[in-house]
Amino acid sequence: MAKVVLENIRKSFGSLDVIKGIDLAVEDGEFCVFVGPSGCGKSTLLRMISGLETSSDGRMLIGDRDVTHAEPSQRGIAMVFQSYALYPHLTVRDNIGFGLSLAGRPKAEIAAKVEKTAETLQLTHLLDRKPKALSGGQRQRVAIGRAIIRDPKVFLFDEPLSNLDAALRSQMRMELTDLHARLGATMIYVTHDQVEAMTMADKIVVLNAGRVEQVGSPMELYNRPASPFVAGFIGSPKMNLYEGAIAAAEGCTTYGIRPEHLSMSTSEGKWKGTIRHIERLGADTVLYLDQPDLMSIVVRVPGDAELALRQEIFVTPVPGKEHRF
Amino acid sequence: MTRRQFYTGVISLAVAGVIFILPFVFVLLTAVKTKQDAALLTFSWPVEWHFLDNLTEVLRTRNYMLLLAYFNSTVITVCSVTLLVLFGAMVGYVLQRRPSGWNKVIYAFVLAGLMIPPAVVPTIWILQSVGLFKTLTGMVFIQVAYGLAFSVLLFRSFIATIPRDLDEAAIIDGAKPWQIFFRVILPLLKPVTVTVIVVQSISIFNDFTNPLYYLPGRENVTVQLTLYNFQGQFQTQFNLLFMNILLVTIPPLIVFVFFNRQIVAGMTAGAVKG
Repeated sequence: MAKVVLENIRKSFGSLDVIKGIDLAVEDGEFCVFVGPSGCGKSTLLRMISGLETSSDGRMLIGDRDVTHAEPSQRGIAMVFQSYALYPHLTVRDNIGFGLSLAGRPKAEIAAKVEKTAETLQLTHLLDRKPKALSGGQRQRVAIGRAIIRDPKVFLFDEPLSNLDAALRSQMRMELTDLHARLGATMIYVTHDQVEAMTMADKIVVLNAGRVEQVGSPMELYNRPASPFVAGFIGSPKMNLYEGAIAAAEGCTTYGIRPEHLSMSTSEGKWKGTIRHIERLGADTVLYLDQPDLMSIVVRVPGDAELALRQEIFVTPVPGKEHRF
Repeated sequence: MTRRQFYTGVISLAVAGVIFILPFVFVLLTAVKTKQDAALLTFSWPVEWHFLDNLTEVLRTRNYMLLLAYFNSTVITVCSVTLLVLFGAMVGYVLQRRPSGWNKVIYAFVLAGLMIPPAVVPTIWILQSVGLFKTLTGMVFIQVAYGLAFSVLLFRSFIATIPRDLDEAAIIDGAKPWQIFFRVILPLLKPVTVTVIVVQSISIFNDFTNPLYYLPGRENVTVQLTLYNFQGQFQTQFNLLFMNILLVTIPPLIVFVFFNRQIVAGMTAGAVKG
């Protein structure tokens, strides 16, 4: 178990700066999620922590040891790839035990550790299969097994669930959270999916264009976003954000209100709009309104609201839930 | 299948049969004929079948030269193909996985190896000066040098289809570069390795000109050279000459018949994302 500290970490490919100076501390045993849009540098940052990419500048500590220039295998990390990266020619048993066999450990020790790991992940009955005979979820578990068996100080996950279907993804989310609780290891997890970030993280790091936009717990980011970018990125459907005259009237440069923080009425309210589109999700209904001043408002109302297209309704922000940047 | 497809299929098969099967049948029939019968060089059924007689006579000729030739050819083929696979895969791996300024230069040399015809006399000078002229070792090196460019290209394009994540997973697992190559990459190269083995062993086993130039000497004879040697001796005994042709043709033919699927699989791998 170890704390991961990044000090002014930078990465450039030629003249292109991908990571523009990141300071970050991931506490011992923390589940930290890097989240951000495509191309924001989150995967690059994870690969730099793993040692697969070198840093152009800055310092990196894992468990108080300077690993800035250390080889990946010397860093005490294990990584789970988006593609799982299982060795296709080896059985599940050999895949999990590969690292130990490279290290030249005795066969009996490897066999015992593989068995134990397989038990933890319910893979025992699959040990003699090749990866191509496994389902997506099973492959994912083998990849995690390969990480666990090395007993790393830090686990790194690079979008590990993005190749799974929705049902399996939510199941694996829970399994990973359980695994984290059981192992108590430091985990760093990269995703572009803000639902994964919100549901799994102790700490979320929102990245944008190679910089940290905000670091905090999921609820901190939801309740007190530091910038319009974070406000728009965290929460689904995304926050309504307005600039210009509307923001100026509210005394700020960007004014934001979440769809779930607008109360709806058919008779009166702050803004009057026409329903352009309705998404019925069962538990709640998402309305897209056309409004002359704001152009467009997204509203989320609980339950299956009895509304029709092109109906005119009024919405009002819930006091205290508005965001001014 | 439409009627048109059926007829084009039948016609294609007939044409292929005339071009590929008929000559072989002619060789087979002439090889089992008697001396007089064969001298007519007609496409006819043998009057008498002399398969075993002809076979033993060809084998016994010049103090069992054909057996020595089989031995030499096999040694050259096996050693050359082993080195070709190993070096081809290694060079292909480095070219594909480690981008550096040298890659373009190396690649240019590889392509030059395919395009520029080998110069025989200077090669012989070099072989003589390092003491490898007229040796099987020298011949192996020649075959490796001539075949390497093609093998490198095949391996390189195949390695491009192996996800880089596998290399990285192995690095994280603590593999050294040579371990990544031998324990992760090389086992995955099986389809293209089969292609290289088959294509190269057929061409090396069937090679006539290179052994003729670089491997003179009675004790160094290879199977294709036996044909050249026997041609003079069997000028009047076409049955024995054709029996020799048959014996020389069969090993590569067997290899090709059994492995032709793999050849195509390895050649086209990487053409589309699999």
